[in-house]
Amino acid sequence: MAAERAGVVEDPARLEAFEARIERGEKIEPGDWMPEAYRRQLVRIISQHAHSEIVGMLPEGAWITRAPSLRRKLILIAKVQDEAGHGQYLYHAAETLGVDRGELIAALLEGRAKYSSVFNYPTLTWADVGMIGWLVDGAAIRNQLMLAQCSYGPYSRAMVRICAEETFHHKQGKEMVLTYAAGTPSQRAMAQDALERWWWPSLMMLGPHDSDSPNTPQLARWRVKTKTNDEVRQEFVDEHVPELLDAGLSVPDSDLHVDRASGHWVHGAIDWDEFWAVVRGNGPVNAERLAARRKAHEDGRWVREALAAYAARAAAATP
Amino acid sequence: MTAHSDARGDTQWPRWEVFKQDTEGSPHRAVGSVHAADAEHALLMARSVYARRPAAVSLWVAPSESVYARTAEQLQEGTVVADAPATTEPARRYLAFRKTSHRRAMTFVDFAGEVSAAGPDAAVAAARRAFPEPPALAWWVVPAAAVTASPEAEAEAWFEPAKGKTYKQQAEYGTLAAGRRRKGQTR
Repeated sequence: MAAERAGVVEDPARLEAFEARIERGEKIEPGDWMPEAYRRQLVRIISQHAHSEIVGMLPEGAWITRAPSLRRKLILIAKVQDEAGHGQYLYHAAETLGVDRGELIAALLEGRAKYSSVFNYPTLTWADVGMIGWLVDGAAIRNQLMLAQCSYGPYSRAMVRICAEETFHHKQGKEMVLTYAAGTPSQRAMAQDALERWWWPSLMMLGPHDSDSPNTPQLARWRVKTKTNDEVRQEFVDEHVPELLDAGLSVPDSDLHVDRASGHWVHGAIDWDEFWAVVRGNGPVNAERLAARRKAHEDGRWVREALAAYAARAAAATP
Repeated sequence: MTAHSDARGDTQWPRWEVFKQDTEGSPHRAVGSVHAADAEHALLMARSVYARRPAAVSLWVAPSESVYARTAEQLQEGTVVADAPATTEPARRYLAFRKTSHRRAMTFVDFAGEVSAAGPDAAVAAARRAFPEPPALAWWVVPAAAVTASPEAEAEAWFEPAKGKTYKQQAEYGTLAAGRRRKGQTR
C-alpha cells in the first residue's frame, strides 16, 4: 500500500538484493540502496520518535523547581537533559535519510507532526514524575529494545545509546514509587492516584492493536520493527503488573488476570476512542504542549541569531 | 559552511559530525551529529549531547559537508574511481574511519589512521590499501584540516565532572524490588 501511494515501482532485482541483505542480518547504512517506502517509513517513525523526546521534556520539566529534595532535583534535571539529548540523537538519525532538521521541527511546531500520545496528559502531583519514569519509560524501553534490532544502522545505534541511558530513568522512577508505596498513608495514596491516571495511557502509547496497525507487516519484513505493538505491550504488562502488585498498589483494570495456559497477564479492553482523540490533537493538554514548544522556540530565536552572527564575524576576520 | 536563514526566516546552524574517544588508546568513533555555529560551539554541543556520562577523553568535530562517505555496496558498484583523482589538486592529509561489523553498537565508523591523497575518492582508495583488514563495510574520509579537537590540556575540566554524577547511572540503583530497598533510599 505504502509503495503504491508513493507511486514508486522498485527495481525487482535491487529489492531482492536489499531484502537478502536484511535477511542476512546486515545493517543498511546511509548511501546504501533502499526502497523509497523504507526510507519514507523510517523518516516518519524516527521523526515522530524525535518529537516525542522533545515534547517529553515538558510534563516532567514543570516539576524541576518543585522537587522535594536536592537529590531528586539532580536526578530530574539529568533525566530531562537526557530527553533533550535523545531528541538530538534521533534528529541526527533522520537527517542521515536526507531530511532537514529545520523542516521536521517546523512540522512539529505547526502541528503537522505526531508525537507520543502519552505526553498529552497532565502531571498533577510529584508522584507523577515517579510513575512516568517507571511506567512510561518502562514502556518506551520495551519498544526501544525492539527498535535497537532495527535494520537501519543509524536508528539502531540511536536506540542502543538511548536504552543504555534510559534504564536510569526507569529505575529512578521505580525507586521513587516503591518508596512512596511503602511510605505514609498520604504517600501511598499519591502513588495509587498516579498509577490510576498513568496506567492506561502507558498501555496506549505502545500503539494500536496489530489488527489496526496497517504498516506493521511491511515494517516487520524489512526489520524496521522486529515485534508487533501487541507483543511489546504484552512484555510491558508481564514485567510491570507483578511489580506493581508487589508494591501493594492496585492496577485500575478489573479484567486484569493471568492466563493459565500461557502464563501471561491479560489486560482489559483499551479505550481506543480516547487514544485516537489524543493522537488527533484532542487530548487533555495537546494545545498546552505545542504552545510551550512554540514559546521555547521563539524565546531561543535570538540565541540562534546571535551565535550565527558571532561565527560569521569570526569567520570574516580569519583570512 | 555558515549558518543560513531558512524559508521561515529561522536561523539554521550547519551540521557537524562528532567523534568520541572513550579512553586513551581507543579510536575516536562516530557517535552522531550536532548543529552549531562554529567549531568551538560544535565541541560544546557535542559534549552536552554525547558525553553526559563517562567515558570520554577527547572529542573531534568536523563539518558534515567535509565528510566523504562510501559504503561497501557503493564501492562494489564501482562508483569510486580508484587511484584516479578527478582533479589535479595537491595531496593532503585525510583521516580515515571505517565500520567493520554488523554487530549491535552505539557508534558507527572508527578512526583507522591517516592517509595522504589528492581528493576524497583517492583518499578512500588509499585507506583501503593502508587498512585492508578486517574488510570495511563503510568508509569515511575527512580532510585533517577540517577536524577540530577538544583542547587536550583541558580534558579533565571537560570530561571528569560526568564521572561524579553517579545518580544518572542505572548501576547506582541496584536491583529494586518492593520491601528490598537499599538503606538511604527513603528520601
